[in-house]
Amino acid sequence: MDVEALEREALAAIAEARSADELEEVRVRTLGRKSPLKLALREVRDRKSGMALNAIRERVEQGLAARQAELAQPTEDPTFDPTLPGDEIPRGSYHLITRQRRRIEDVFVGMGYEIFDGREVDTVENNFDALNTAEEHPSRDPRDTFYLDDNTVLRTHTSPSQIRAMRAMEPPVYVASLGRVYRRDTLDATHTPIFHQVEALAVDRHVTLADLRGTMRAFAEAIFGGTREIRMRTSFFPFTEPSVEFDMTCFLCDGAGCAVCKHSGWIEMGGAGEVDPNVLAGVGYDPDEWQGFAWGLGIDRIAFARHGLPDLRLFWENDIRFLSQF
Amino acid sequence: MKVPASWLCEYVDFGLPLVDLARKLVFTSCEVDRIVPRGVPDIDGNLGKFVVGKVLQAGKHPNADRLQLCLVDVGEGEPRQIVCGAWNFSAGATVAVALPGALLPGAEQPLGEAKLRGELSRGMILSEREVDLGADHSGIMVLSDGLEPGTLLADVLPLTDDVLDIETGFNRPDLASVYGIAREVAAVTGGQLAPPPGRDPEGGTEEQVDVRVEDFDGCPRYVGRLFRGATVGESPLWLKARLLAAGMRPISNVVDVTNYVMLALGSPLHAFDVARLGGGRIVVRRATNGEKMRTLDGHERELMRTDLVIADATHPVAIAGIMGGEESEVRPETTDLLLEAANFDPLAVLRTSRRFRLRTESSTRWEKAVDPDAAEQAAVYATQLFVELAGARWTGHVDVHVGLPERPRVTLRPELADRLSGLHIPVEEQTERLRAIGFEVGDDLEVTVPTWRARDVTRSVDLVEEVVRFRIEDVPATLPSRPAKPAQLTRDQRLRRQVEDVLVGAGFYEAYTWTLVPPGEGRIQLQEPFTAELATLRDSLDYWLVESARRNRNAGVERVALFELARVFLPGDGELPEERWHVAGITDGGYFQAKGAVETLHRALHVESDFSEIDVRGLDEGWGYFEVDLDSLFERVPDVVLYEDVITYPDVKQDLAFVVDEGVSAGDLIAEARRAAGPELREFKPFDVYRGEQVGPGKKSIAFSASFRSPERTLTDDDAAGLRGRITEALAERFGAQLRA
Repeated sequence: MDVEALEREALAAIAEARSADELEEVRVRTLGRKSPLKLALREVRDRKSGMALNAIRERVEQGLAARQAELAQPTEDPTFDPTLPGDEIPRGSYHLITRQRRRIEDVFVGMGYEIFDGREVDTVENNFDALNTAEEHPSRDPRDTFYLDDNTVLRTHTSPSQIRAMRAMEPPVYVASLGRVYRRDTLDATHTPIFHQVEALAVDRHVTLADLRGTMRAFAEAIFGGTREIRMRTSFFPFTEPSVEFDMTCFLCDGAGCAVCKHSGWIEMGGAGEVDPNVLAGVGYDPDEWQGFAWGLGIDRIAFARHGLPDLRLFWENDIRFLSQF
Repeated sequence: MKVPASWLCEYVDFGLPLVDLARKLVFTSCEVDRIVPRGVPDIDGNLGKFVVGKVLQAGKHPNADRLQLCLVDVGEGEPRQIVCGAWNFSAGATVAVALPGALLPGAEQPLGEAKLRGELSRGMILSEREVDLGADHSGIMVLSDGLEPGTLLADVLPLTDDVLDIETGFNRPDLASVYGIAREVAAVTGGQLAPPPGRDPEGGTEEQVDVRVEDFDGCPRYVGRLFRGATVGESPLWLKARLLAAGMRPISNVVDVTNYVMLALGSPLHAFDVARLGGGRIVVRRATNGEKMRTLDGHERELMRTDLVIADATHPVAIAGIMGGEESEVRPETTDLLLEAANFDPLAVLRTSRRFRLRTESSTRWEKAVDPDAAEQAAVYATQLFVELAGARWTGHVDVHVGLPERPRVTLRPELADRLSGLHIPVEEQTERLRAIGFEVGDDLEVTVPTWRARDVTRSVDLVEEVVRFRIEDVPATLPSRPAKPAQLTRDQRLRRQVEDVLVGAGFYEAYTWTLVPPGEGRIQLQEPFTAELATLRDSLDYWLVESARRNRNAGVERVALFELARVFLPGDGELPEERWHVAGITDGGYFQAKGAVETLHRALHVESDFSEIDVRGLDEGWGYFEVDLDSLFERVPDVVLYEDVITYPDVKQDLAFVVDEGVSAGDLIAEARRAAGPELREFKPFDVYRGEQVGPGKKSIAFSASFRSPERTLTDDDAAGLRGRITEALAERFGAQLRA
């Protein structure tokens, strides 16, 4: 048998096939159980001709596959214009704060923190008293805080979640709490009366300011990428002692100075400190046995800086032309 | 707090460039927002263009009635011709002159030589306002005689300064004064601190001062001093310049001294006109309900029993610590003064200032608590300045208190600083740092806190901060060492994310809207509304969502579909309102698109949609709206979806159309069909509604696609016919439905 002729004929038939059905016919004829090639293969007794036949079989199979792919392409239809856009499948989008919130939650979960849902309306007790806030502290002023009655407020920070979490759990406690907070700030480009914070709380036997700095760095690097430095500055919060404010090297210029960081190289992140022993004792933790850090920072400002927004009000106007950018 | 560097340097020698000092303070002590140069810019030899001049001739400008034409000797040999608009001087006066090329405060261009009404003016005779030394612009500054023409003005007047803008924390009222900052700067830099300013002059013993304190809780201390024969007038330029630099307006020498000493030492002062004090007496007491007085700002104030006031024999003359009264105000004709250097309870001041919405330089200091010890030094310094600057005679002194507070004693636990900071700070370093900021440390590590820190430092942990703040930059970055513990989102948190995912996937844009909405039935109110629209807590997400959707349509957005996932607030049983998670959506696709979104959401969560509980609405202008209570929805979400064989036995599909009265709803038919056919009816879905001749008036035909399946066997044609028969029969019986061919 002329095996080469066999191959020639098979490849020619493949090239001539005009449809998938025709191609299938060709396949049965050339490679089917009763095809001359298969019959010849069955008859093979020596290695050399076996290899030659197998090589032909492979080439025919390749030819079939290639032709099949060609036929699957609908290029044959002269009215078909593949450069027209695809059907528009409606898509929505996540709010920027939601995106940021999820990333932050994921970073904390990755570090082994539970995400704790606090309340937006809370008691004066949880929002101020249990956080060691003096009666004369200005944050209690009704000019700054939304009161529902003398004992109830719209929380002014996520810190009352610390109290709720510690009351609900036995130490050690590693939690993050995110959500809306409320202050009577006049609405303008850089202030909104409602914004979002993330609170982190780690209470264990030996959690130190150094651990705070390291955790903030891990967090900053996870959220902003690259290598970030954290610096702490002495500050005051009623519920931490010592208290610090913390800054991160600018995510845009890495500390060299640019418009985003107002040429300081640093971006202010938030406030933090070692949980005040009064706070721990207030929730029934022995401050000689348990200690740790708490920190809070604004989510809106992170999203604002990252995406280069000019005005915080954009977060609340829900203009789809804005929302659909992201 | 604005701290002029020149003033700070009087109290402490810190030997550092100001920017470096600011940087140190930022880490150890307080925010330094910025350093603001003020006065004449000290750049490129600019100060050399401001000199003392002597007016040789002054007369009316030939072409202008309001101008003077002067010849001024500025030490150049040849006098300069200068045109001047002021008339409060004449030939022989010593004045301040800016030469051409001088850059004045706030000016963008240097001064040039100019022709004014035809006469060349080669310089400018300065008023105090033009160089930030005062507010007066009615005439030029006339300097004291004897100054040599050509002398640099900067050697004579505080022409230029840098001002540190400092933000002091609530816990550091001791930093609310220039001397307090100086004390801190000395500790931070190791610089030499001068003793507090002020020394008593002779006097103070001629007469009694009648001060009665009836409420020592509100007023733990009252130092009163009497002065006679004062001349009320203008303050000297240096004092005005300092006040302006510190952000206060000069008023008169007496008032300026009280403000100046407050800024210097942190203890607010007040001066009364003794002649206008009834009975010449001071009584510190609570007001009676309804008592009235007119404060310095001209407002009539109605007082309450809780307000602490300074009264004379009959009525209030000041609201303690907040503002004096108009009646006893120091006026130009005042000669006899009563100086108040008191100490007031922070809460008493705070409550009253909040009620009147009245915050003053003084009240903000009292609110943060002022060291009662500071009152005395403030009285001393003010006395010295009254005598020096107002020519007053000091005639009486009284210091009323029932014992000043003890200085707190706290045990230093050196291991605590290490334990909390993660640093190792040797005990010697700790004691040294504490001593540097005025704490006394005994050999037994018992620490006595200075009076100016007494309120803030009362516990061992407070001492930790006082030590660690000086090492804060050295704290390393480590991670808590703890056994690995898996964490994950809670079930509700995961489900909330899923809801967001489904709706975003379904083409909805996520919106964030205000929690506060206009008043409405049953909504929880704010004690004080923020605005008319932001006054109550929302019990539904609809208000702002509808508003946002409309705004988008008005902006010409083509496809509007928004959703929000947030909390709503309902009156609760306990002390707090009930907070529930809701999701709501609005779409310009109308009622059925909203309903479809809800159905998709339910399918994604494997929950049957029950529209008796779900809020789906068609709104005006073609909007479709839905709102779902997620807390109840999530209760019904199965934790695990169990496998069900939907593959082995095929569906049997049939279409059925029924003619019914208009009043019968598709939902009723579906429910009845399901009841009649049982679980083998897998789907019964309306796909067409027809009204017209073929069915007659008042009737409609609804076509359903039905699919039957058994998990146990292949249904036969007979099985399907039986199921179909049961449905047909039940619908006929219940609704009079007729099966169409």
